[in-house]
Amino acid sequence: MANVESPMAGKVWKILVKVGDAIAEDDEVIILEALKMENPVFAPEDGVVKEILVKEGQQVEEGDILVSLE
Amino acid sequence: MSEFEYSMPRYFKKMDDLGKALKKVNTKNAEELLAVEAELDAEVDRIKAGGKPSEKVNAGGEWTAWQRIEYLVEPGTWCPLHTIYDPTSNEEGTTGVIDGLGKVNGKWVVVIASDNKYLAGAWIPGQADNITRVTDIAKRMNLPLVWILNCSGVKLSHQEEVYANRIGGGTPFYRHNELEQLGLPIIVGIYGTNPAGGGYHSISPTILIAHQKANMAVGGAGIVGGMSPKGYIDEEAAQSLIDATRQFKSAPPGRVEIHHGVTGFFREVAETEEGVLDKIKKYVGALPAYNPEFFRVADPVEPKFAGEDLYSIVPVNQRRGYEIYDVLARLFDNSEHSEYKPDYGLEMYTGIAKIDGLLCGFVANKQGVLKNYPEYTKEYIGIGGKLYHQGLIKMSEFVTLCNRDKLPIVWIQDTTGIDVGDIAESAELLGLGQSLIYSIQNTDVPQMEITLRKGTAAAHYVLGGPQGGKTNAFSIGTAATEINVMHGETAAAAMYSRRLVKDQDSGKSLDGTIAKMNDLIKAYSEKSRPAYCAKKGFVDEIVKMSALRNYIKAFVGGVYQNPKSICPVHQLITPRVIKDHMDVYVNKCTVRET
Repeated sequence: MANVESPMAGKVWKILVKVGDAIAEDDEVIILEALKMENPVFAPEDGVVKEILVKEGQQVEEGDILVSLE
Repeated sequence: MSEFEYSMPRYFKKMDDLGKALKKVNTKNAEELLAVEAELDAEVDRIKAGGKPSEKVNAGGEWTAWQRIEYLVEPGTWCPLHTIYDPTSNEEGTTGVIDGLGKVNGKWVVVIASDNKYLAGAWIPGQADNITRVTDIAKRMNLPLVWILNCSGVKLSHQEEVYANRIGGGTPFYRHNELEQLGLPIIVGIYGTNPAGGGYHSISPTILIAHQKANMAVGGAGIVGGMSPKGYIDEEAAQSLIDATRQFKSAPPGRVEIHHGVTGFFREVAETEEGVLDKIKKYVGALPAYNPEFFRVADPVEPKFAGEDLYSIVPVNQRRGYEIYDVLARLFDNSEHSEYKPDYGLEMYTGIAKIDGLLCGFVANKQGVLKNYPEYTKEYIGIGGKLYHQGLIKMSEFVTLCNRDKLPIVWIQDTTGIDVGDIAESAELLGLGQSLIYSIQNTDVPQMEITLRKGTAAAHYVLGGPQGGKTNAFSIGTAATEINVMHGETAAAAMYSRRLVKDQDSGKSLDGTIAKMNDLIKAYSEKSRPAYCAKKGFVDEIVKMSALRNYIKAFVGGVYQNPKSICPVHQLITPRVIKDHMDVYVNKCTVRET
């Protein structure tokens, strides 16, 4: 099962899912703030949220795992 | 299938696919955009319902201007412009004219009509600006102008706002003659009483067609009776005015019997409302116009994806990006294009596409984060909507190529401005912005601009904005449009940040300055919104998302009707430059490379 990875460096602005949520491919999972813009991060495939590995306000780098799915 | 075949089909029959199907409808975003569109619809309804009620106009034996336009223009082709334009905030809430692009008797024309529901179509403030915009559209698109005239003259209580000035009542009459001297005919259908300025509206066009009850004259009854030498009105003067008015009421000057029977200024006279419009159609039918097939490079095809998808794609939230290819895929024939240098100037889209089978250049801002860009710094990374060194150069190249190939250009703006700071200055952005303006001004191809969302700072000018007097035919916006020199929050920070420091250093409460900052932000927001932009003329119309392609079709179709110059398809350079650049530098698929 794929994880949701950060496509860019930025700050986690909003987490839109909870552990146990069933999500579909292309659902918005997290919104990153970078360059004063909201950058939504989408689910790469259908799944259930297993773990959220970041907190709101946290700085992340490109490629960091944000959410793991099962 | 057309009976015509096409030149160079390997370039244009099947171009590159772009965009993807909408995966999910963004209901919230769509509802917000539709709510703004509904507000604008209400404004249009207010103007249509205002003035003299339509029933009363009809009871007097006349049609309203809206009814005349509906009869004249082919269904499905009407693209209204300046509908809520009212730059001087008139008590009428309109400039008293209605205009737009539409097809009459199979040909694209610019149409303008006196709104006879308001003061019998009088000149009111802002009207001269409106008419001048309309004559400018005809000039830049090289299109005929059709007037449906019914103008009772100047609203005398506001003469100082109507009569004089550089863009004043007389300006359109000069513009009419300018169009004629450029070979562009003006056909006028004349209704009602048209004295003084109304008379010059009537006489300055090329062909005059009158309703049997119409008249036009240097001056009307009021003027003839008003030449009193006393300088004031007493009872004797009042009685003399009454007598003169009664006389002229029964026989106003410049009736059909004079201007058809004696001067012959009226080329034809019709007995009915529709008779005048039928004669306009007849004369438009006599005008030259290419069959669009002459210039087509492929059969016209609708886009693969619905225009309604744009309500989900273009975010109202200005902090959200989107994929410009998904927007363009809702505008281009069969959702196909050829992109010019996609690997260079990453913040800008430049490319060619077909609209109704006709070739057109497009320039648009891309959105989102641009990694490893701009190339002139590692201090920060690029963001779509901003303009950088390469993008500015790419646009200059592209408009120059379009001009060389005689391709019209459509600009789609969603910009926050040109990159700023010493790094950007060192990268020559100030000079490159003006260089782009030079390149645009150096062209002689008609251009149209769409402020899809943000039009900010100097970037609004350099991206083919309405300030391009020689080239920009018209500009339109959408329910997401916001035009301002900078965002309100940025302006508030620029104006008040030092004062905040001062307040704090002196132990003063920040509340007063904060309140002023928020007032400024609110004022910026209100004066940047779509309705304000349309009212003040920042754009020539706010258009529904789903109707954007219709306006582009009208623009491109109109431009190709009688182009001022032609580039043979087999002598076009732009498509070859695009293909070679992709083959050599991107796909590395030349014979030598493979």
